[in-house]
Order: sequence, then structure tokens, then C-alpha cells
Amino acid sequence: MHSRLTIRRALSLATAGVFLVGCGGGGSTSANPAPPDKQILRVNDRTEPNSYDPTQQTYSYEAGVGRQVFEALLKPKADGSDVQAAAAKSYDISSDGLTYTFHLQPNAKWSDGKPVTASDWVYGYQHLLNPALAAGYVDPYFDSVIAGATHWGDFSSKSSVKDIDGFVSGLGLSAPDPSTFVIKLDHPAGYFKWVVTLWLAAPIRKDVVEQAAGGAFPSNDPTKALMWANNAATIIGNGVFKISEIAPKDHVTLVPNPYYWGGPAKLQQVIEYFIEDGNTAYSKYQTGALDMIGVPLADVTVVRGDPKLSKQANLYPRLGTWWMVANAQRPPLDNPKVRMAFAKSIDRNSLVNNVLHGVGTPTLSYIPKGMAGYDESNKVQSFDPAAAKKLLADAGVTAADLNKFKLLTRNTTGNKTINQFIVDQWNTNLGLNIQLDVVDSKTTTSRYLRKGDFDLYGPDGWGADYPDQQDWFDNYTTGACHSLNWGCAKLDGFDELVKKADAGVDQAQRNKDYAAAHKIMIDQAAIGMLYQDAEYDLIQPWVANVKSTAIDDQFLVGSFYWHDVYITTH
Amino acid sequence: MAISEGRSGRGALLPLRISQLAGSRGGSLAIFVGKRILWMVPIVFFVILITFVLMHLAPGSPWDRTGGRQLSQAVMNNLNIKYGLDKPETEQFKLYVWNVIHFDFGLSYQYEGKSVVTLIGGGWPYTATIGFLAFLLIVPVGISLGVVAALRQNTRVDYITMGFATFAASFPNFVIGALMVVVFSVVLYKATDGNFFLPSADFGLDSHLIMPVITLSLLPIAYTARLTRASTLDTIRQDFVRTAWAKGLPERLVVIRHILKNSLIPVVTTLGPTFAFLVTGSVIVETVFNIPGIGRAFVVAVSSRDYPMILGTTVLFSVIIAVANLVVDVAYVFIDPRVRLT
Repeated sequence: MHSRLTIRRALSLATAGVFLVGCGGGGSTSANPAPPDKQILRVNDRTEPNSYDPTQQTYSYEAGVGRQVFEALLKPKADGSDVQAAAAKSYDISSDGLTYTFHLQPNAKWSDGKPVTASDWVYGYQHLLNPALAAGYVDPYFDSVIAGATHWGDFSSKSSVKDIDGFVSGLGLSAPDPSTFVIKLDHPAGYFKWVVTLWLAAPIRKDVVEQAAGGAFPSNDPTKALMWANNAATIIGNGVFKISEIAPKDHVTLVPNPYYWGGPAKLQQVIEYFIEDGNTAYSKYQTGALDMIGVPLADVTVVRGDPKLSKQANLYPRLGTWWMVANAQRPPLDNPKVRMAFAKSIDRNSLVNNVLHGVGTPTLSYIPKGMAGYDESNKVQSFDPAAAKKLLADAGVTAADLNKFKLLTRNTTGNKTINQFIVDQWNTNLGLNIQLDVVDSKTTTSRYLRKGDFDLYGPDGWGADYPDQQDWFDNYTTGACHSLNWGCAKLDGFDELVKKADAGVDQAQRNKDYAAAHKIMIDQAAIGMLYQDAEYDLIQPWVANVKSTAIDDQFLVGSFYWHDVYITTH
Repeated sequence: MAISEGRSGRGALLPLRISQLAGSRGGSLAIFVGKRILWMVPIVFFVILITFVLMHLAPGSPWDRTGGRQLSQAVMNNLNIKYGLDKPETEQFKLYVWNVIHFDFGLSYQYEGKSVVTLIGGGWPYTATIGFLAFLLIVPVGISLGVVAALRQNTRVDYITMGFATFAASFPNFVIGALMVVVFSVVLYKATDGNFFLPSADFGLDSHLIMPVITLSLLPIAYTARLTRASTLDTIRQDFVRTAWAKGLPERLVVIRHILKNSLIPVVTTLGPTFAFLVTGSVIVETVFNIPGIGRAFVVAVSSRDYPMILGTTVLFSVIIAVANLVVDVAYVFIDPRVRLT
């Protein structure tokens, strides 16, 4: 179920309560660092990255490696309220909001010791935006906003070298001097500072890419430009760590980048294993062969009741929420009252306590607690079976009208368990007889969701890529209908508010506009909220100085700050 | 190509040299093997064809995500062009077959820039090693258990042996695998230095093999034992066995020369497919013990619609199964003199 939520999570987070600092296990070991040969952190990244080229990465398990090996221009502040310096020591925004000037860290060096220059950044962004390479997250994050990039989709590896060269050189990317990287935007976008925190927007070494490809190559070649990332020796990054070994499907070993501008990391090795079976990882943790894991749902109660393990476990809230969707293009689900009846007939507390074993928090807000936009005041979707029944009666809808509907369910254990609970809630509280329709996960997306061919679907979820509301509200605009906005509910005024807020530069005004948009989608029950995501993770007591955020890479607690983590004597 | 005179039928189409050999037993064997190897070409072709059609009939594109952020249409269009999926499917098929003839199995969709040959070449040695070791365990253990049970029919030995077989056959291997992990790796980990039996990660061709090999071989051992027992019981009642006893031959000779040799035909028949099944990998064993083999890779490829990877593994599997069956057919000749390969 967790793996469903996000594909990748990016930076984040926000206000009080959510950002936890220093949860290093909590055992009785000393605070003395262990000798260097013991400074090894062993974690489970679950799945091997599909690519080691950061620009090609999209999944959370890919960020789990990419984020350590490459460093983006900015990163989120500890409290998630704003961005802070990373590979860029500072940045300026022109008064028209169209030009972003990044002043690079003066001592920034690649893992082979060469200085990181602004032209490396230009090349990295060009590499990311080269249409022939079809990077997964170019659209919509980058092509929609960078000057000259909006026609990205008109080009491909079929385009001529001249066309690709023309497109790439026409992008608003420049390096006026070796330590200054300038990005020009197509239109003002108050959230752009967050976009450049994404790990996949990294500098890339042109000489390394060309050498691995066997010399210069045509810009429309879809594979040559990616060959450098197939070999640990040629994956030269600017991040805290560098890759020393890739054991396919088994693990990668990271060692400190000795030239990192902030000084080398304390850990001498990070071993990221690719263990897909949560129970296998749990076994390894119990023998002390892993330092950090996510507890499998089935073992949560066991860990809670274990005197030793319960001390090493913590609940980590995430900037992610889950909800149910009704197909608003299918009457009577086009009636907000009917959708609201479904939303109000789910006992979220029971869901979280009994089905999720407390790993999560019931929520009525689309925007999660911990970032701007969280709204706990709007209780219109709260659990109230009597009111829900009344809504159906008011709408003139009978059980017979709804019993033909099915709840589309992805064929995974997590989704089936949750949906059995939900459908039971609906049937009990609304007097219905709705059935589950369990379908292979890919078929669910392509055959049913993308075509709008379903009645009810869920649980659907989102995890923040960065703690800006643009990342959330864009998903429910009319333009996102049948791509992420599966229900396609008609929300009057929503698109305009979101568009205005996305472009806005005044944060207070943006928050106000997003809040209005949030009220519309919740009041109209475009989605029926369920719960906010959390991770229940175990960390060995000898891992010190772990700083978690609510957008850490999945099961890799504190992955934004591993530079400072160390192992104590034990 | 010379055609030998006076010969008709299939032999006539063969080159003279082989046809001339056909008179001898070794020659007919060579022809048999040669033909069967040639037959693998159309077999593999049809396997590719059927797999290709089924694969493209299955809903879901390689670029659909199972949740969260979906790739945008623009990105998917570019990916389709990059991997040639924008071409008509007949053309994709022709291109694939053409490439296979040149031993080019394409690039994986899932693992950017990695060729199918690299991925299979990286994973198959693990799978094959475990499968091969399991096979080496299954043959002696399964057959001896079966023979012992049959010779001591309806005694305690028989009940214990068959009880074990029933037990091993009824427990799914994900239960046995997980149980072994808990017992040997977690509960007893101190006794075993915490590492000896450890599954998953840093997988090496050493003590890590013990648990997966046992898990993988339990069911085939049970199956082989039961089959051997049934077949042996059948043979024991044959006249020639009675004659052998009557002649006063020692038990060892009766069992090995007369009973075992004649009981093995059905067992050998199943050992071929069993071998193929073992060396193509078990998803469950590879998942529980986190072995980077191709059994798991194949399932992942199917669920992620990684077409070249699906085709590549299917071709490999079909070749392995065809070869295993061929070996079984050849083995008959040596086990049972009544069998003629014509």
C-alpha cells in the first residue's frame, strides 16, 4: 500500500509537530562515534533504481539513491516553511518574477575533484529537457514553466538533430559566469523555487557523458546520452555521497564524496539494499543486519508489543493524504450531495485504528498537516451516517440507483483490505449493496481510470514532491481530468483560483486563493478524504543524529540529512 | 546437398553424411537430436508470436504507473517513439524477430539503458545455480525415499517417508521459506553467527544457498518420492522381478538392476520438466530470500509490461524446456533398451 502512494517524494515540510528532529533510535548506547571502519549505515531502498541518471528518475526508491549522489540547487528548510541553500548558496528573483539567478557554492566540486561550474548546470538542465531522452518528470514540472520549454511535447527522438538543438539552445538557461546559473521563466510562478529542489534537476558532466558514449553523438539519439549512468565508475555526482559499487538487484554502496563543499560525510559507507519483501527486511533488521526499515503492516502490532523493538520504532507522519473518488461524469454521482453521502459514511477513526493499525491519521483535509494549506476547520465531510442518508434522500437517490456501482480496487493486499472496509461502511451506513471490482494495477490505470470508465475508485493518494500547494491543486483542475483528476467533478471557480495562485508571487495571497480552492473541492466532495499517511519505522539505537522530515524518501528516515548521521559505539 | 539413394521419408532430406550414420544406433540418435534442435526454431518462433500477441492484448502500457503521479501524455508519446512503440504492431513484431535472429533482444523499458541480455545474464546464474543444486538434491533424495518406501511398503518406514512427502507437498514454499528464515536466521542467529543462514542482500554462492535450495527442492522431492514409490511397487510385482528373487540374486542387485532401472522411466519423464522448472526460477523463493534471479525479474517484467524483458525471458525459458525434454527423450535410450528413437 505504501508503495502506491507516491512515486517519489520530494522535499518538505512544515510546521510544528510534523518535523521531528533527532530520533536516533533511542536505545542506551553511548553517544561516542564508532571508529571509521564501523561508520556504515545499512538501509533498505526496496527496489533498484531504473536508472542512475538522476534526470531519468521518478520513483521514491530512485530518489533514495539519486538524492545522495546529486545535489539540487536548493533544498527545503528544516521546518518546510521555505527553501534554503544547497548547491546554490543564494538566489535572486527579478522584480517581474521571470528571472531566477542562482549563485553557486564557490567550493562546489564533483566527486572526481573537478569544480562544478554553471555550464555543468546548463548542461544538466538541457539533458533533463532534451525531448529525445523523454525524462519522466519534465512534464509538467519543468516544461510548463521554463522559457522556451512549453513546446517540449512537440519534439521527440524522431525530431532532427537541428530541431532538437534548436529547442535545447532556445531554453531559458544560461551561465553568465562560472558561478552563476540563470533560469528564465515563461511566466511568473511563485512556486518555481520549489521546483529546483527536486533531486532530478541536477548538474551533469558533459565530458563524462560523451566519453561513456564513445565520443560526441547526435542530440536526437535516445540512448547514448544515458550510457554514463550504467557504470559506477562514470557516475560522477556533486552530492554528499558517490557510488562505489552497484550489485544489480542486490545493493548499491555509497561512500563519501571527499570533495563535497560542506565537508565529507561522517558515514564511511551507506549500503542501500534492494529487498522488496518487507518481511525479509524485517527479519534482517531483527538480526542487526539492517539499521533502518519500515515495519510491514502485519507486524505493526507485534513491534508495538515488543519491549525492545517498540523502543526503536517511531511513527513518522508524511506529507501525503488518501481519499476515495466518485466518477462525477456518471449520474447520479454528478450530484455533489451523493458524493458527499459517500464521504460522510466512512468512519475514518475505525479505518486508521483497525485496518491501518494506527499508521496514519484520520483527516478531512486534502492538504496534509505540516504544510501551508492544511485545513482542519472544514468538517463538512465528517462521519455522520444519519446526515449521509439524508443527503441521499434529498438528492432523490435510492439504494437501487447506487447498487449497480462497483468500487474499482487495485489488486494489492493493502488496497483490497482498505476497500473491503470502505465498501462495508457504505453498505452498512447507507443501506447499499456495492461490490468490489478487483483489477490488476496497470489495467486499473490504463483501461479504467484514464478512460473515465469506473464508478467509484480508491484509495487514491498523493505525496508532496515539495511543500507547495501548487503540487497538489494542479491535480484537480479541469485540465487534469482523466490524468490525475479521475473523478472530473465540476468545480466552479476552482481552475481560476488555482491558476492565479500558481502564478502569484505574494505568498499570503497565494495561500488565500488556494484555501478558497480547497474549500470548493472539499465542499463539493470532489474527493472523499480518508487519512494522512505515516510510516512506522524501526531504527537501530546506534544510529545517531537522524533528522527526519515528512518528505524523506520512503523508509529512508532523514534522507535529506544523512551528511550528519553517524554510528555510535555498540 | 547430396541425397542418399534408396532412402525415403525424412531421412532423405538430410545430408549424406548424417544419413549414412542412420544405420547405426548412434547415428539415429544424432539424427534425432539434430532434428529436435532444428524443431526448436519454429517452436521459439511461435513462442515469440504467442507471447507478443498476448503481451499486447493485455491492457496497460509500460508507462502507466500503479499509483501517484502518472506520466503526462507528452512524456508517454516521447517514450513510445523512443522505444519504437509508435510503429504498427506487425512492424514491431517483424523488427523484433529480425533482431532476435541477430541475437539482439533489445533494451529493457524498465531499466533505462540496460539490454535484456545484460539483465538476464546478470540474474540467470543465480537462478540456475540454485535450481541446479536443488536438482542435485532432488534426484538422489527423492528416488531413494521412494524406493525405500516401496520396498518397506506398509511399514513404519513407508508411513514416515510418505508422511514427510505429504507434509512437504502440502506446505507452500512461501510458508516453508519464511519459516526457515524465522527459525534459522532470526531465532537461532546467534548460534549461527548471525550471518550464516541470512537470506537476502549480499547474496553469494555460499552458505546463502542452503535455505533457498532446500525450500525449492522440498516439493519436487516429495513428488519424485511418491512417483518413484508408485512406480517401484508396480515393478516389484512384475514376473522378471520374481524370477530375479527366485534365482537367488542378492537384494542389492535385484533392486538396482531389475527394480530401479525399470521403475525410473516415469520418474525420468517428470525430471526433465522439473529441471526446467527449477532453473527458470521460483518467484517465491527468490522473493523470500531476496535472490536477484530471473524468476522474480520475469514476474516484475510482466507486471510492469516490460515487453523486451518478457520476450527475452520467455525465449530463454522455452529453449530450456525444449532442451530438458530432449535430454529426457535421449535418456530413455540408455535406461530402457525397448525405446528406439526413430
